[in-house]
Amino acid sequence: MSSTQTLSAALKTLANYRAHSTRASQDVLAKGSAILRDGRPEAKLGDDAWAFLEQVFLAAIDVGNIEIADECLHKLSDKFPGSTRVDVLAGIRIEASESPEIALKFYDDILKDDSANAAVWKRRISILRRTGKIEKAVEELKEYLDTFYNDLEAWVELADIYSSCYQYSSALSSLSHTLLLAPQNPFYTLQFAETAYTANDIPLAFKMFSVCIEIAERDLEPGEVVRSKGKGKALAEDIDLDENAGEGISTRAWFGLKLCTRILLSTSSSSPSQTPIPKRKTIELVDELATERVLAVYSSNDGKGKENVRAWLGRS
Amino acid sequence: MSAPAVSLYLDPQIRDWVLFPITLVMILVGILRHYVVLLLQSAPKKLSRVAIREHRALTRSQILRATAASSPVPPPLYKSISGYLMEAFDSGAYLKDGPPKDDTPQAPPNPMSDPAAMDGMMAGMKTQMVMMVPQMLIMGWINFFFQGFVLIKLPFPLTLGFKSMLQRGIETPDMDVRWVSSLSWYFLNFFGLNGLYRLILGNDNAADSSQAMMASPFAGAGVTPGQPQDFNKLFKAEKDNLAFAEGLYTWVGDDVEERLLRKYGKLPKI
Repeated sequence: MSSTQTLSAALKTLANYRAHSTRASQDVLAKGSAILRDGRPEAKLGDDAWAFLEQVFLAAIDVGNIEIADECLHKLSDKFPGSTRVDVLAGIRIEASESPEIALKFYDDILKDDSANAAVWKRRISILRRTGKIEKAVEELKEYLDTFYNDLEAWVELADIYSSCYQYSSALSSLSHTLLLAPQNPFYTLQFAETAYTANDIPLAFKMFSVCIEIAERDLEPGEVVRSKGKGKALAEDIDLDENAGEGISTRAWFGLKLCTRILLSTSSSSPSQTPIPKRKTIELVDELATERVLAVYSSNDGKGKENVRAWLGRS
Repeated sequence: MSAPAVSLYLDPQIRDWVLFPITLVMILVGILRHYVVLLLQSAPKKLSRVAIREHRALTRSQILRATAASSPVPPPLYKSISGYLMEAFDSGAYLKDGPPKDDTPQAPPNPMSDPAAMDGMMAGMKTQMVMMVPQMLIMGWINFFFQGFVLIKLPFPLTLGFKSMLQRGIETPDMDVRWVSSLSWYFLNFFGLNGLYRLILGNDNAADSSQAMMASPFAGAGVTPGQPQDFNKLFKAEKDNLAFAEGLYTWVGDDVEERLLRKYGKLPKI
């Protein structure tokens, strides 16, 4: 009785991980290998078994347990011979233990037959990046994105590669595509703003930090962020994850805004993107507001760093 | 109608040997058809990279245009993306076969000459045949053996308007509308069994023939991506749309700091 109960509980947890694509590899592997040991999962789980096997496979690779990974992979490739999705898993398995050259060759062979296999193509690009062939990776990634424009994560990856090579203006232009693809997502806006800040395009960063705050606090009344924190734990748990994330992100954006206004007020900076610089009066007001907002966040909780922040803001 | 006794007495043999067999045969044929269609379906053809690129090029500019009125992208970047796309559409950089060589107006591609399109159409015809042939056979069978049979009496009264629907094949002006003829029973099954198929075979089954009757084999080919489209023409049209969108373009970052200040009461609200 209890074993079936734990089994169903474990399966429920795993299904939950799958739905939210949580990467809790240790936990998945522990639960998954227990279910594998219990007997034939494909008989018990029905059609869910295949998704389960894939999940356990990836977790096993993540943790480095090749044996269990092989077991899952065998079951999957027996069930779906010639499936491209299993091909990708087989490729991951090769990557785990063989040299990158062999994995590259494996992917090349698949791409020769089916040149538009997006998943394989992306894995190939990831190997190229991992082995240091940045130039080739960028080239391939650009070609990939020219074909599959909608792939948001690939644009982020491209921006990341550019940033790692200090090519901030190129990073900005690839991030602009992520903004187009997900205009309501404040995280990409924040990344854009921070990249612009790093590229020393302070007026642009100033604007984008403001946009980010506007998106993140879209549904909140002014000052509501702080109030919801003050109401205590019970309420905070009721608030769903997104709103909590919104708090963190807008705090970070206020910090960024403060940094920008400080620079804009102290030095005359130019904008490579010809972004108009707001009037000095406006900047001063924004500076005041940003200081207030950051202070408000740090006054309501007695977290660490409070003194440092106050000192940095010049309000001890 | 006011006659107290039943005016017609049906042999129970008719129920056992005509009514049930017709229903059963139709159900079984439907299920069989479902599996035959599954067998006939070929895997979707793999498109090459360039073909996908051509198909998806339009979505790029659609995404750009969707937010143009308050775009998240700053002006120089918007201009560069928009300009790049316009130029690419103009020169035909996204066409599968490369930019067109000369300026001669091309004839629209003939669907009969393109093997890929022919495949799609043949697949449509095949499933269509699987739909039609059994229905014709069953109808012939019923017409041959059971023509003019009265099979069943509906348990509820109906108006005279239903006579042509329920008593097809029997030319009697006086019979009560509740009696159903063999051919009408066939049609009732034909249109009414879909719910049962859905129960047995799941939601998207291929057993229901009344749905397939509506679709012509050629219409089916029209919506599949296999149908050749004149992308060059589409791209030229999209270029104009992009030019319009550029006129509409405003950056969401314009005045954003003032909106923020208003929200927090630093500036008077409008």
